[in-house]
Amino acid sequence: MTAFPETGALLEHLFRHQAGRMVAHLTRLLGPGNLSLAEETVQEAMLRALQTWPYQGLPENPAAWLFRVAHNVAIDAVRRNQVLGEKTDAIVAELTRASIVVPNHPDVEEQLRDDELRMIFMCCHPEISRDASVALSLKTVGGFSVREIARAFLADDATIAQRLVRARRQIREQRLTLEMPGGGELNERLDSVLEVLYFMFNKGYAAHEGEELIRQDLCMEALRLGRLVAASSIAEPRVHALVALMAFQAARLPARVDEAGDLILLEDQDRGRWDPRLTGLGFHHFDRSMSGDGVSEYHVQAAIAATHARASVSASRDWPLILYLYDQLLAINPSPVVALNRAVAVAKVHGPAEALAVIAPLENDPKLRDYYLLLAVRGHLLMELGRRSEAAASFHAALKCPCSEPERRFLRRKLGDCGPLS
Amino acid sequence: MPQYMLLLHSDPANWRNLSPEEMQKATEKYMAWSKKPFTRDSHRLAEDVGRVIRSEHGKPRATDGPYSETKEILGGYYTIEAASYDEAVKLSLEHPHLEVGGTIEVRQVWGS
Repeated sequence: MTAFPETGALLEHLFRHQAGRMVAHLTRLLGPGNLSLAEETVQEAMLRALQTWPYQGLPENPAAWLFRVAHNVAIDAVRRNQVLGEKTDAIVAELTRASIVVPNHPDVEEQLRDDELRMIFMCCHPEISRDASVALSLKTVGGFSVREIARAFLADDATIAQRLVRARRQIREQRLTLEMPGGGELNERLDSVLEVLYFMFNKGYAAHEGEELIRQDLCMEALRLGRLVAASSIAEPRVHALVALMAFQAARLPARVDEAGDLILLEDQDRGRWDPRLTGLGFHHFDRSMSGDGVSEYHVQAAIAATHARASVSASRDWPLILYLYDQLLAINPSPVVALNRAVAVAKVHGPAEALAVIAPLENDPKLRDYYLLLAVRGHLLMELGRRSEAAASFHAALKCPCSEPERRFLRRKLGDCGPLS
Repeated sequence: MPQYMLLLHSDPANWRNLSPEEMQKATEKYMAWSKKPFTRDSHRLAEDVGRVIRSEHGKPRATDGPYSETKEILGGYYTIEAASYDEAVKLSLEHPHLEVGGTIEVRQVWGS
């Protein structure tokens, strides 16, 4: 796109970020049952900005302008629809009082952060399925459109729209509130929030053809929300661990593919292309995750990511430490995917033959059926042992599994490396 | 230099499904165009389509809009300077309004 000098006045993602805060703020005022009214109101405020600013120029404080207009739109809608029944007058009064909020003011900022936080916690209520939680968080707090969410999920618009409708109905019918749960329930909810954020992050992180931008936005949004939770009073060490993990991984995003869009393995990545700010952010939160005694899965994963980030060149990576961390991770989460990742560390420390023995039992695991990475790792290990034709067979089988185009190209390249087959 | 009025019509429904991000992008593009050196003036019209006054049976009467069959409404207008009508049209062809399905009416301001 052409460079517009004027656009510098608009912060990156201003609309998207303000949309999330405005929806959260209005949902508090209008009540969670009127979530869609809050969303429509914010949409309308943005539309008015689009229709006004080009003719009249950028307002002095664009965020404050959006908030004021959103309040006015909400007041009109509440008066006109009478959806709120006898509560109408009280809510109009509240909206009128709130309409003078000026974002950027410290008190207001704190209130808005609190609104957003409560909103995330409501979206991650156990009554709502996880897929719906992710979609709802992206839509309401993340300011993503149905189409953008659908693109990120590789789903069609109607599926996502339905998922959102169901989630909003659940909020209404189960009378979910923006109250923060207390005691043990808070802990459980926090776990579910972290799970949703990590799920969101991984949705964005998975390599897929095209749509690269929207997926990176997804990662960054998960990271932003994670930091929001981490900055709140309820932040537990495991929150910092997850933020650290996401920051370390996000730092690698620019180095993950080459100019042709082909995947580059972690080992072969040009570390100069890792984002130093994100790596720094990762270490900051990693340090903070160390307080307390609890060791969560995020802690161990963040520790592995930190070990990768700490090594200045890939040869200097501390593989025995990484293997030790994978042992811990496997103890916390004995999943076949973790076992597969651990096998890579086993290969580095004890050699490919031992790693092959480690993955052998995984080949019968139904969870890893059609999982191309298992076959790709197997092929890689066989190659290292010089068993070329078996390696080629493995890559061939991997290509038959569902995987994205960049992954497919990667596998073909690997297959080519096996050399001519007899 | 002759002046031209660009009347921007659009169907507000075209915008309904845009995400905040897309709306911001569109806003930025519009604003960039508005700041081009040939732009003299720009005004946005209130979105209420207002009322039309016409004479019926010899009596002036105000009726509510919309006053035409089209769903498009006049959202705002620019005054620009151009050497000729053709050039004014050429400049308008680059307006982002057209990317979102809007219509631009180009009229010369007489006497300018």
